[in-house]
Amino acid sequence: MALVSIHGLGKAYQQGEVEVQALQDIHLEIQEGEFSALVGPSGSGKTTLLNLIGGLDRPTTGTLSLNGQDIATLGESKLSAYRLFNIGFVFQAYNLVPVLSALENVEFVMVLQGRPAAECQARALRYLERVGLKDLAHRRPKALSGGQQQRLAVARALAGEPRLVLADEPTANLDTENALGLLDLMERLNQEEGITFLFSTHDPRVVAKARRVVTLKDGRINRESHPGAGHGLN
Amino acid sequence: MNLYRLLRLAWRNLWRNRRRTLITMTTIALGFAMAVFFIGLGDGGHNQMIRSAINMGEGHLTVQPRGYLESPANAKVLPDSVSLLTKLQHAGIPGTLSPRLALQVLASTAANSVGAVLEGLHVEQDPHVKDFRNRLVQGAWLAPGDTQGLAIGQRMAEKLKVRIGSKIIMMAGGDQGEVESRLGRVRAIYRTGLTELDAFMIISSQEFAQALLPATVRREGLQPITRLAIYLEQEDDLEPVKARLAALSLPDGAQLLDWREMMPQVVNFVIADDMGNYIWLVFILVMVTFGILNTILMSALERTREFGLLRALGLGRRHLLSLVLLETLLLALVSLALGWAVGGSLHAWFAIQGLDLSSMYPEGLESGGMFMEPVLYSELSWTRVWALSGIVFFTTLISGIYPAIKAARVPPVAALQT
Repeated sequence: MALVSIHGLGKAYQQGEVEVQALQDIHLEIQEGEFSALVGPSGSGKTTLLNLIGGLDRPTTGTLSLNGQDIATLGESKLSAYRLFNIGFVFQAYNLVPVLSALENVEFVMVLQGRPAAECQARALRYLERVGLKDLAHRRPKALSGGQQQRLAVARALAGEPRLVLADEPTANLDTENALGLLDLMERLNQEEGITFLFSTHDPRVVAKARRVVTLKDGRINRESHPGAGHGLN
Repeated sequence: MNLYRLLRLAWRNLWRNRRRTLITMTTIALGFAMAVFFIGLGDGGHNQMIRSAINMGEGHLTVQPRGYLESPANAKVLPDSVSLLTKLQHAGIPGTLSPRLALQVLASTAANSVGAVLEGLHVEQDPHVKDFRNRLVQGAWLAPGDTQGLAIGQRMAEKLKVRIGSKIIMMAGGDQGEVESRLGRVRAIYRTGLTELDAFMIISSQEFAQALLPATVRREGLQPITRLAIYLEQEDDLEPVKARLAALSLPDGAQLLDWREMMPQVVNFVIADDMGNYIWLVFILVMVTFGILNTILMSALERTREFGLLRALGLGRRHLLSLVLLETLLLALVSLALGWAVGGSLHAWFAIQGLDLSSMYPEGLESGGMFMEPVLYSELSWTRVWALSGIVFFTTLISGIYPAIKAARVPPVAALQT
């Protein structure tokens, strides 16, 4: 069974008196362990699709399920729990909590999950080590570089052991060196730990790493390709 | 997320904009300190006025003929003060019992005549005495056994054109039209600063006043009185002692009243004056409310994106609501602590040193028809402390509700796009 199954998905927004169809008739399945990219021009619906899969927004039409569970019909608190236990987010603007240290930022999701304090700390340190930030564990985000902040965001996204990591333009604010470093890190995590990644991106470096590329245009899936097939788990 | 972690996060959030938080805290703390200061001085003034009124008046509790307060008359007496005193002494009332005989008289000299109240009392033991004795401007206080001696106010002395040693004829009417008269001599002239005492009150021994009673109510050996004033050692004893006295069988026609019933004008004055303090308090609360609302609402609006992030990461609405409310709670607690530190220090200083108004009122201070010492001392009861803290604390919390609800309603997807 596919990890994510999407059938006939549509999302319309009301802008003043005009209804804007951000997504329509999307059919997509994402298997466990994929390292995939959503590409397309601005306004093609990449972020909207990620938001719907991440349970941040609700579709207007169609069905969307994760591991067989329909998330389009979940209530507010169940949707919160869905995000907490199933999804890891990496945002373009890092979106770290500025008053928490690097360690506390990584612990945050685990704390919300109700894990014991000792386990939260041990796991957070392990993930910080994994992304090369263990020595900076007690620094606050503003004391970290952009690349370090995005790696911290990856560590936070992974710490709660999500089924799926959604990354919205994760390299957009990074220079080439940091962008490549981040991509290597995520690719390694995918290959070594089997974590499923789905990116939205404009960045050709990300597209080059992806083993499956889904192209969106005007809110519809326009094309699908497998440039890196055979390198990953699937 | 447990309370400790939520509190820690709230505390750090509070100090994100250190300057704004400090300004808000200072505003609340200073407003609160001012409220403590003014209410402390107000309460101190009221208590001082009440104590003065009780001392200069008829004690904490008074036993007097029924209806005397509404329409005093020379024939309305408690005919047997001896057995009443004995009964109360046996009951072990904690305080001083002062029998008094007050008569409405006409005081005349060769120069003038004035209507006056003659108060016959025990010239040595009555607690009332020291208030006059300490304010003598001429002569010496009445000696025990002096059956002619009178102490009068300075304004009455001026009206009657008398001095120490001068004679005054006292005349008192009964309810049957009979008139009793007696000659007295001025031994002392006092000045309290209160017109109704200085112009209309004459003090004499009980024996002198009893001789002016109408023949119909005069009883040899029974020592009729118009009032038995009871001065308690502890003000807090008022209600229990009143209850004990009410349980005793008082003589027919006798009535037990406390100072509030005896002096409703004092109670009304305090209530009216308190209203002024409450208006001040409302002003403080409005300041607190808007200060908090501004800080927490601005802080919440600035963090819309972050609230969206927290919601995206899985923080529930309830937790987000609690987080913002905890920020308000911490702001309220720290502000209150600061406010108490400043207001409490001001209160402590003025409770010990007092606020000396004597240079502003060299003639003495009269408030609500009562004499007041020119030095005001701050007083705060625990009830006031809890009420003030509670009102400011809950006002602060309430002003945090709107920003908290606003934060909790942030839709994650919209917030992340801001």
